[in-house]
Amino acid sequence: MSRNNLRRMLLLFFFLGPAVLVYSIFSVYPLIATMSLSTFTSDSSGALHFVGLENYRLLLMDKDWREPFWNAFLNNIWFFIIHMAVQNPIGIAIAGLLSLPHLKFRGTYRTLIFTPTMLSVVIIGFSWNLILSPLWGISEGFLKFFGLGAFFQPWLGLESSALITIGLISVWQFVGIPLMLIYAALLNVPSELVDAARIDGLSHMRIFFSVKLPLIAPTIGLVSILTFVGNFNAFDLVYSIKGALAGPNFSTDLLGTFFYRTFFGNQLQLGSPTMGATIATAMFLIILIGVCIYLYGIQRRLERHSF
Amino acid sequence: MQLKWRVGLIHCFLIAYSLIAVLPILLVVMNSFKIRKAIFGTPLALPSAETFSLVGYVKVLGNANIGVYFFNSLSVTLISMATVLLFGAMAAWALAEYRFKGSNLLALFLSIGIMVPIRLGSISILHMMVDLNLVNTRLALILVYTAQGLPMAIFILSEFISQIPRDLRDAARCDGVPEIAIFFQVIAPLLRPAIATVAVFTIVPIWNDLWFPLLLAPGNDTQTITLGIQQFIGQYITDWNSVLAALSVAIIPVLVIYLIFSRQLISGLTAGAVK
Amino acid sequence: MAKLSLHQLSKSYGSAEILKDISLDIKNGEFVVLVGPSGCGKSTLLRLIAGLDPVTSGSISIGDRIVNDLEPAQRKIAMVFQTYALYPHKNVRENMTFGLKYAGLPAEEISRRVDEASRMLQLQDLLTRKPKDLSGGQRQRVAIGRAIVREPDVFLFDEPLSNLDASLRVSTRVELSRLHTLLKATMIYVTHDQIEAMTLADRIVVMNKGRIEQTGTPLELYYQPANLFVAGFIGSPKMNQFSAIVRNAAAVTRFGLSAPVKASEEGNAVTIGIRPEHFVVGGEDEHPLAARVELVERLGEISHLHMSMSSGELMIAEWRGRNAPAIGDRLSLSVEPSNLHLFDAKGVRI
Repeated sequence: MSRNNLRRMLLLFFFLGPAVLVYSIFSVYPLIATMSLSTFTSDSSGALHFVGLENYRLLLMDKDWREPFWNAFLNNIWFFIIHMAVQNPIGIAIAGLLSLPHLKFRGTYRTLIFTPTMLSVVIIGFSWNLILSPLWGISEGFLKFFGLGAFFQPWLGLESSALITIGLISVWQFVGIPLMLIYAALLNVPSELVDAARIDGLSHMRIFFSVKLPLIAPTIGLVSILTFVGNFNAFDLVYSIKGALAGPNFSTDLLGTFFYRTFFGNQLQLGSPTMGATIATAMFLIILIGVCIYLYGIQRRLERHSF
Repeated sequence: MQLKWRVGLIHCFLIAYSLIAVLPILLVVMNSFKIRKAIFGTPLALPSAETFSLVGYVKVLGNANIGVYFFNSLSVTLISMATVLLFGAMAAWALAEYRFKGSNLLALFLSIGIMVPIRLGSISILHMMVDLNLVNTRLALILVYTAQGLPMAIFILSEFISQIPRDLRDAARCDGVPEIAIFFQVIAPLLRPAIATVAVFTIVPIWNDLWFPLLLAPGNDTQTITLGIQQFIGQYITDWNSVLAALSVAIIPVLVIYLIFSRQLISGLTAGAVK
Repeated sequence: MAKLSLHQLSKSYGSAEILKDISLDIKNGEFVVLVGPSGCGKSTLLRLIAGLDPVTSGSISIGDRIVNDLEPAQRKIAMVFQTYALYPHKNVRENMTFGLKYAGLPAEEISRRVDEASRMLQLQDLLTRKPKDLSGGQRQRVAIGRAIVREPDVFLFDEPLSNLDASLRVSTRVELSRLHTLLKATMIYVTHDQIEAMTLADRIVVMNKGRIEQTGTPLELYYQPANLFVAGFIGSPKMNQFSAIVRNAAAVTRFGLSAPVKASEEGNAVTIGIRPEHFVVGGEDEHPLAARVELVERLGEISHLHMSMSSGELMIAEWRGRNAPAIGDRLSLSVEPSNLHLFDAKGVRI
């Protein structure tokens, strides 16, 4: 028996080893090391001193740190709300339309609408920067065409509108993902259920809201949590449009850019790896709490119906 | 008839949104082929004989190391995809097949990576790469992207593996096929449909990523196309021709590949999403 | 070819006991069928013999070796699966040769075996096809061919005919029988279909809830079932079972049927079993049984008459001939005493 056991262990190492190794070393360990780093502070010589949770106190309460932190945190929440309010309903609506039977050009619509998601966030950021730029005038001209020329503003440059604008650009790009996931879930609803509902006399709208929507609730839940994780991790879009300083006046600062700035430093301050690690750990905890709330609070309630 | 009205309305809405989706991209690409005057003068017009110009492209292709950037992106993405597929399939197979004490725990451990973004550990990753002398190497990116892509890949592949009939591996065992050969010769060939799904979830984030190339491999030789374009644009920000051309250089290949493979891509995405 | 011995075999998954204390001796070249309802453990037993699952206790011997610790490949067995389990990405020839390559056989030997098996199973024209281009029956033959080329000591069949169309099932059954005669191989065959069991087996092992109910030749099980379960399982339609009380050394049913019984059962409740095909209409019995036809199922020359006895109990009798009775007809039935089966209160044959 022992020889068989040895063989089994060797097999397990062979199959599981590479994946577990790479994952642990380059994904798990760095996270743990970062969390540990956040409990230290470095002095001018670069040496590290253990300070426990002092960095967190600084982050949350010290006047130099708490303003940017809470600003970034609140911006992230705004960002999330924009996505939940705009991206997901649009995604659900389009998915609902695309899943209607006998729809012509379904494939074409799908391909076209999903295109932005394929492109790099950086490219998207720059492109929209140009399109919304008052210098080029395309957007202004576009609004003028509809008689709304007066509404035009350099939204990206205004403190009051920059974040929302960037949020909408992000929605524009990423609507494809909830779209695809919900579309797939809708396809999974057995056509007999829809047929039975139609025989019962329900209109398509009614069927969508009363039959299909409840059945795809788990997928909507999944989409929500993915949105949450993605939003709180966001960095690329703001960085490409606004740079690390996330202006104007930090109105577009997210936890991701705050983290980047703190770690690398910028014109205004020296980089601080330990505070950077603190921010990263804080982000991790925020995401973790969100995921836990979802898994234990919401996921439990959503039955996954199997057919 | 009321039905025709409704269908018409639906198509109106979809067409409108499709336009919203592609128009910005088209604008960028279209105008990249125009002279500066036409970009500002008639932005919505297609390039005509008079307005056609490649001046931006000349600058982009001349100054930026586009060829190198593409090669870097391509090699990093493809190699990462290959390792993610290989390691992921082996791990998914072992977890599904060889139940052992703690296999459930290990599966949980591996799946945490789906939710937790790897970027948060970047500080330590950078430190590690410095220590390992891997800064500014493509290998650093490959290692990081493999670690990033494994959890999702294992999740997806596990679903596909569970669809392979158990009898098949029993038959192979009775046939006297060694365990490793069972994986490579019986199971792996049957995972071909999974490749599309895994590819969608791995390739796109890697190719489009800015963060890790910026952090780990910003050197001129190792820049990926995303980073390279971003740096170039940062430099030539007032030169609209060059900026538009640079963006188009980044967009067009991806667009072409996407359009060619769109059907497989989308079916891969929906197949994986269903599970 | 080899003999097979199972000694006090049991198998549990956690707290669930699937097989309890199975002991069985199978002779060299015998065709043994394990039969029983779903969940009786027959497939589990087959997998234990194959080595696909480990035993919880007991021993398995093939030939003179105890094979408990041996991998399937080392046991010199070959298995044919219910789903055929053909490698979908390999063609027929590759399906048959895949395993042999790992046995270290020289190429000519592999070739020879494949050619011989293909001839035996008429697969010569199909060798380059992939499984998806084959019909169910053809896939079945490839699965059998894959087993034959291994030249095993024991063949194991796991419900191989279940996925075939009814007509194909009959012809394939005949093929299997012929194969057994040709190869003179030891074969263990699992099925839930008692007709397959009756027609193919040298010996049948009836299983129920993880235990062996009875082992014997088909006719032994038919004419002398050891308990009510076997009596009800073998034979279609099912044997009629009537409750009776023993009075004065005779078991008497509520509708007046009487069967002699030994004195020790006096006063006990017993069961009398009569097969539908053993009822005689008319006949010269002193005490014929009165029955009324409630339902007639016509199958051609044979009909199944569902009838009620004077006590209201229902039974089925077989009728042969074109002019079957109609609903409502009253018939007089009798049974040969030798066709009466008696079972005690626990269901064991008396």
